[in-house]
Amino acid sequence: MARDTLAEVSDEALLVLYANGDPDAARSLMQRLLPRVLAYAARMVSDRTEAEDVAQESMLRLWKVAPEWRQGEAKVTTWLYRVVTNLCTDRLRARHRRRAVALDDAPEMPDGAASAVSGLIARQRLDALQAALDILPDRQRQAVVLRHIEGWGNPEIAAVMDIGVEAVESLTARGKRALAAAMSGQRAVLGFDEEDDAP
Amino acid sequence: MSGQMDDLDLLLAGARDGAPPSAALMERVLADAAVLQPRAAPVRAALPPARGWLSDLFDVFGGSGAVAGMSAVTAAGLFFGFVQASSLTSLTTALQGGTEVVESVELLPGNGLIWAGE
Repeated sequence: MARDTLAEVSDEALLVLYANGDPDAARSLMQRLLPRVLAYAARMVSDRTEAEDVAQESMLRLWKVAPEWRQGEAKVTTWLYRVVTNLCTDRLRARHRRRAVALDDAPEMPDGAASAVSGLIARQRLDALQAALDILPDRQRQAVVLRHIEGWGNPEIAAVMDIGVEAVESLTARGKRALAAAMSGQRAVLGFDEEDDAP
Repeated sequence: MSGQMDDLDLLLAGARDGAPPSAALMERVLADAAVLQPRAAPVRAALPPARGWLSDLFDVFGGSGAVAGMSAVTAAGLFFGFVQASSLTSLTTALQGGTEVVESVELLPGNGLIWAGE
């Protein structure tokens, strides 16, 4: 099928086309999903290389499941984000175990000095946000990233995390409060106060 | 606190667009897709049905339709020949006006008139 036509096809239909041997369906699906999956994984594991591995592995699982995909049962994005979430959780748990075993070898958290060196306020803010996200418990971080960065609705997040909507609301609320608390000491460094005081 | 939350919302919204995937990553993902993609079954032209000697024989008589017609007529003829249905006999009787057995037919009038003149 022509690529122009594929642009208007749903994710699910593209997956079916891929399973039926359409040579362009895989590229269209990848262009749609890979950037989102990679960004989400990067926020979760806070490591670009690991995030790329997670993104590739997630897409690999999508290609594998394509022939058995049951249409109408789940959204492709919901299924894929659930896979990414599980893979990230596995890596974070393994990282925690390694840190517990060898505390001396644990990587240092990014600090204010490292951000100040960059000289770019936007970059500093994003680095600080990532540092604050890294402090959150895994489930809170997942909920906050999906809700406030990816822009998903609570029911969709509940499906991805396999929990109830009320639990999602609780996690996002607590996560956001913790984020605000973690970043409260850096407002001046990040330039928020200056902007607030500006006429 | 409200201003702090607003700043955080702005920051979170700004973090939505991450760095795009590298060309190397996209190549790896596409290579995986190519390896795992099911192959479409090749489309074969439908073969014509095999013709037997019976088909050739039917063609001699004008095809299977003509043979079927001839067979039906033959069967009907045999049926009427053997069964002689009474209804059919009645029908022919009615059409022919009945059968009356005549023992002698007088082709010339009586010769008494001829001899009467003498």
